[in-house]
Amino acid sequence: MSVSSSRKITQILDAELDKLVTLPVIWLTLISTFIINLALTIAFTSAALQWGAGTQSILKTGLASMGYLQAGFIILGILATCSEYTGGQIRTTLTTIPWRGVQLFTKHMALAIMTIPVAFIIAASGVLYAFMMMRDTAVAIEIDKLIKTLVGVTGYLTLTTILSAAIGAFLRRTTSALMVLLSYYFVVSPLVRDFLPSSKNYFPDTAGSSMYMLPSSDEINVLTPMQGTGVLLLWTLLFIIVAIAFYRKRDA
Amino acid sequence: MRAFNAELSKLFSLPGIWLAFLIGAFAPAIIATLDSMAEKEDIIAGASTRLSEVGYIGLGLGVQGIIILGVLAVSSEYLTESSESGGGNQITTSLTVISSRFHFLLAKAGAVTVISVFLSIVAIITTVSATNLILGEYAPAFEASKLIGAVCYWTFTALLAFGITILTKSGIIPLAVLMINSSVVTVSYLLTKVTKLAFYLPDMAGLDMFMFTSDRFHTPFTGGLIMFAWVAVLFIVAAIVFHRRDVAS
Amino acid sequence: MLTINNLVKHRGTQEILSGISFTARPGRVTGFLGPNGAGKSSTLRILLGLDRATSGSALIDGKPFAELHNPLATVGAALDGFGAHRMRTGRAHLRWIARAAGLSRSRVEEVLEIVGLTHAAGKRVGNYSLGMGRRLGMAAALLGDPKILVLDEPVNGLDPEGIRWIRTFLRERATSGKTVLLSSHLMGELAETVDDVVIIHHGKVVADGTLEEVISNHSTLEEAFFALTSESAGGVV
Repeated sequence: MSVSSSRKITQILDAELDKLVTLPVIWLTLISTFIINLALTIAFTSAALQWGAGTQSILKTGLASMGYLQAGFIILGILATCSEYTGGQIRTTLTTIPWRGVQLFTKHMALAIMTIPVAFIIAASGVLYAFMMMRDTAVAIEIDKLIKTLVGVTGYLTLTTILSAAIGAFLRRTTSALMVLLSYYFVVSPLVRDFLPSSKNYFPDTAGSSMYMLPSSDEINVLTPMQGTGVLLLWTLLFIIVAIAFYRKRDA
Repeated sequence: MRAFNAELSKLFSLPGIWLAFLIGAFAPAIIATLDSMAEKEDIIAGASTRLSEVGYIGLGLGVQGIIILGVLAVSSEYLTESSESGGGNQITTSLTVISSRFHFLLAKAGAVTVISVFLSIVAIITTVSATNLILGEYAPAFEASKLIGAVCYWTFTALLAFGITILTKSGIIPLAVLMINSSVVTVSYLLTKVTKLAFYLPDMAGLDMFMFTSDRFHTPFTGGLIMFAWVAVLFIVAAIVFHRRDVAS
Repeated sequence: MLTINNLVKHRGTQEILSGISFTARPGRVTGFLGPNGAGKSSTLRILLGLDRATSGSALIDGKPFAELHNPLATVGAALDGFGAHRMRTGRAHLRWIARAAGLSRSRVEEVLEIVGLTHAAGKRVGNYSLGMGRRLGMAAALLGDPKILVLDEPVNGLDPEGIRWIRTFLRERATSGKTVLLSSHLMGELAETVDDVVIIHHGKVVADGTLEEVISNHSTLEEAFFALTSESAGGVV
């Protein structure tokens, strides 16, 4: 029994990966995220070179576009779950895989498997560009710090994707999910950060950002990367659980 | 006129429009309230450098609601996310009801314009009253010309969102691009650090209509004109594309 | 064997199904009839575990759908609409289903051949005609070579050739001992395909029996249908 059920999980995981890979919108999102991020990094790098050559950190410049880059991954997450509701695919999914909790959880796993390498490549490409442009002028880069930061960025982007996917699964409509998430990440959160600086440690995006933020002189990073990961992970799990609970209860 | 009424009723029957209304009409007031409270002491002490901006920040951000409005007006025609639909494009129905595509676009744009103007006036009223309530006699004077600028900014933004969505047919790209770009630190603003040309982007030019910050580039009038030019060009392109395109594709 | 037992479904304050009971037996084609909005699709959706019943049960070989060990090989279902994402190709759609059930890729090509969709398998589902969409739905239903077929309006949108194909195909399935349940409101078509008939109206079963029993002293199935469902004529479109 346990052998067959573990095989079944692998099959479902394969199927969910297949669904993601054969969806052109997913590729479109990833490719445009890559291109736009690179374009932004080029802009940031040239700005950094114009002003403070020699004082800029390569890592900071290479990751300056993070705020915008996460939008691409938010969209990725939403598309992965909301695409089920296009053309009534959800009915096919549930008649093929009627174990709803397992199915939705596996979908998030498949999404994570896909996101991790992509997030790493995209983040690394930005840093690499900044490195190539600034290596003569900027302060030297430490390799272990670089790897730590890139791992942090990858983790942050992956968790953000999964969190968005869970919210997408809960709301079921691409546009609604997009409106909710974008207005949170780009309007509410920056405002809350300004007006209530102390709340910074509790929200998924601000706490999560300590996963890759370099300790800077002008502000005290209260959370360590591990603590930041913990907070973001808790939020993500919470949303997955809520999404699964609703998914199991409601009519498809 | 009948087409215009039809478009209005279509818009009001969309559930998402209420979120647009909520954000558009009340978010600016809330932001203005928070901002006023934060700045209150400085303002009373006469030390605030941001007195002239209080309230307008909210109006700059409340435009998110209007973006949703412009995008939804078009994307709802193409949306097929109902579980029962085997391709329920409302656009097919719309274009058999109003056969002239140009009239259809015009009616829709008209409906979006009217709602945006209405919404921006509501937002201004709530924002001004919120600011006055909190700052009392210290509240900045809201000049009519700036407020007209804000109304224009909202309406043009709605039409930009509308035009882009006609081209993309899906709400994802315009929502993402425009909402991110109207966030606290906009991409356009960053681009102005790289090239002066970025001041001619629609949102940067449009903001000059009512946000009088130190690094202002255009006069309110030319700012409005530049933004209007963007809207006009986008509309011509969208109209041509929409006219030529097969509905089903 | 499909057993629907005293099924009740409320949606909001509306009662969509008020105690439906019937069975669909192996070796027979059971036709499930009713006017629009009578509750046909709701019944099928509950049977397939998509919707939840307020009370009562819909069992497949004595088990609810979600407890089936291998759903795709037990029940093949084709509901209304395409059931596929518009941007995926037909082949990709069938492949992920096959993968979820642990079936081989060659099985995908087989079912594409059976439903006559091989030439269009590389096209995006969004570009399919209604009939092609139905064929894709049938292909998905047949992937696991199931003992039971549940089809919602299978001939809707099919061309004459497709309708004839469905008819002979379903007869063959039944003759080989399999269970077929199909809903439709095309009386003439149904009368030539089914063995048993269940007619529902306003969420209640108004007739249940073999084709001959249900027609009884009416001249055709259509006459019988209208006699049974027209007491509130005009109320249902």
